[in-house]
Amino acid sequence: MKKTLIAALLLGMFAAPSYAADTIKIAITGPFSGGSAPMGTSMRDGAKLAIAEINAAGGISIAGKKKKIEVIERDDEGKNERGALIGQELASMGDLSGVIGTVNTGVVLAGDKHLQEKGITKIITPAAGSASMTQWSKAGVKDLSIFRFAADDGIQSAMVVEEAIKQKFTKVAILHDSTNYGVSGHDDLVDQIKKQRNILEIVTTQKFNIGDKDMTAQLLAAKSKGAQAILIWGIGPELAAVSNGMAKLGMNMPLIGGWTLSMSNYIDNAGKNGNGTLMPQTFIEEAITPKAKSFIEGYHKAYNVTRIPSPVSAAQGYDAVYIFAAAIKQAQSDDTHKIKEALENLGEPVQGVIATWKHPFSKWDPANGQTHEAFRRTDVVMGKVEDGRVVFADEADRQRLIKNAAK
Amino acid sequence: MLPESRMNTFIIAQMAVSGALMGLVYALIAYGFQLTFATSKSINFGQGELVMLSAFFSLTLLDLGMPYWLMVPGGLLFGAAMGLVVERACVRLSLEQKNEGWILLTIIFGLLGFSAAENIWGRDDRPFPSPISADAMHFFGISITPLEISVAIGVFAVMGAIELFKRKTLLGKAFEAVAADRDAAQLMGVSATHTIMLSYGLSGMVAAMAGILISPITTVGPTMASALILKAFSVAVVAGLDSGFGVVVIGIVLGALESLTSFYIGSGWREAPGLILLILALAVRPNGVFGKASIRKV
Repeated sequence: MKKTLIAALLLGMFAAPSYAADTIKIAITGPFSGGSAPMGTSMRDGAKLAIAEINAAGGISIAGKKKKIEVIERDDEGKNERGALIGQELASMGDLSGVIGTVNTGVVLAGDKHLQEKGITKIITPAAGSASMTQWSKAGVKDLSIFRFAADDGIQSAMVVEEAIKQKFTKVAILHDSTNYGVSGHDDLVDQIKKQRNILEIVTTQKFNIGDKDMTAQLLAAKSKGAQAILIWGIGPELAAVSNGMAKLGMNMPLIGGWTLSMSNYIDNAGKNGNGTLMPQTFIEEAITPKAKSFIEGYHKAYNVTRIPSPVSAAQGYDAVYIFAAAIKQAQSDDTHKIKEALENLGEPVQGVIATWKHPFSKWDPANGQTHEAFRRTDVVMGKVEDGRVVFADEADRQRLIKNAAK
Repeated sequence: MLPESRMNTFIIAQMAVSGALMGLVYALIAYGFQLTFATSKSINFGQGELVMLSAFFSLTLLDLGMPYWLMVPGGLLFGAAMGLVVERACVRLSLEQKNEGWILLTIIFGLLGFSAAENIWGRDDRPFPSPISADAMHFFGISITPLEISVAIGVFAVMGAIELFKRKTLLGKAFEAVAADRDAAQLMGVSATHTIMLSYGLSGMVAAMAGILISPITTVGPTMASALILKAFSVAVVAGLDSGFGVVVIGIVLGALESLTSFYIGSGWREAPGLILLILALAVRPNGVFGKASIRKV
């Protein structure tokens, strides 16, 4: 009698996962604490907003049966070693449909290889470092399950260099942090300056570490060598320390850099010293289209804020979920391999908040990394910090986006 | 543009001034080590966490709408109270039993404080508002902000006040007596336990002062003091654990050296001078540059 009871209990334990199959499991990973947290939490909350909308409509219909999305959250704290552990954990889950997220390039490099090994479909967003995708082209991988939904640093550095040339500068200083993101951003900038006919001369290159608060030495080097603008790659708190240091030393030159200059912990800690800072953006928190309006209002209401900590991350997280959901619908399956096939050949356009995505990805070709990159130069605009918010730096971009949405 | 040589003088001066101001904060934290070491030959290895906890507490007072000038004494009281907690929970018993348990206990207290801060206030770096302006003023081509000057004034004010207290008041003289010779002082009727409590209270207050002064410049976060505390420790050891004047001098020198190193050698070498100074001091003058040679009777 006792034995049957134990057997029944054991059976019950093993049988339990079969209920879970009624949902589609998607993991969302990112730094929900630490210096990168504004990007991580905004991406997560934007993604969850989209998931809540999909679930409220009954879920995604697979073979005539509606399935809801279940979220698995993992905080990588922006640390590479945590990223590796989470990658291993997710790779070993048998019934995972896919992964969305990751902010830090170092974490992508540490974790994604485990997912690729098992062929688990992942959409990287908002990590922008070039190395996240070029690692696969360089290795000549034939079949890739990793996609990126972010304006990569190649596009961003090109825009930063263009902007400096447009403003008629000839001498610039490059500042970057010592993380994978900062170092690969530096390489992209140097590469772009070469590509754009060496109009810009790099008078000095300076490094700083995560946690540094005093940037006097780096800034004085730039000032004394006659830099007219500072091109920078780093994250919020240190970027703010640079802006504050520049104000103190009376350096009125512009600060132009990666999209991380739109993080709330940059804008808040730099205060008025941040005004005029320029950075590429995929989304500006301004209700210029009906879709943008409903997204921004939805986010503010759901999370009780008046400003999204990182609007770019939130909008990308939101659109990435809708693209992923479209792939599930097209594949008519929650199997991660079939979803990958569908992502590479999406038929229906996906109405997102950033744009309407027509065929964002195509079949992976190691010789052309763009096949798994959704963003092109035209999807990205220049943003500018103005009194605690990011606004369009160029009115023409704003008008262009309004016109595109009306089409 | 200025001629090369004049430009260079300005840079050296600017780097030295900026570094020296940072160095004063190292000195203030190092002074907190000295206070407790003088009376009890023990130091609080969780001093950095006291700096951080007091800064967070002060920020909370500001968030609750308390004006800045009321927040300062509030923060200092909190720091002093935390100092007393450390003394009671981590130091007193092990001193009574004449063992070194306080080393481990103060480290554990620091870790506890760190986790508590992460859970109460979160892991983000937050701005710390201050009524003192951060707009630069220019003297002979050197930029300096009123906020930085306030750090210097604050450091000298709190150290000066404590030194005066030690020299001019009865309680302060008891403090000095215990520092000079604990057993003799006790025979003269001075309570060593109370004096040690006093020194931990003062040390906690000094930590709070450091937190309030530095936060508007560095922002407040759980890890804000982890880098500072190592520098402060180097300063205390290099200067010697019993010279208040010494920590100020060494603090300023170390701060300036760091800035100049990072400018001339490279930003990656910033931490090197502190470590080299520490090794040199331990090899050549183990009691510190300004320390008195200790005579140990056996």
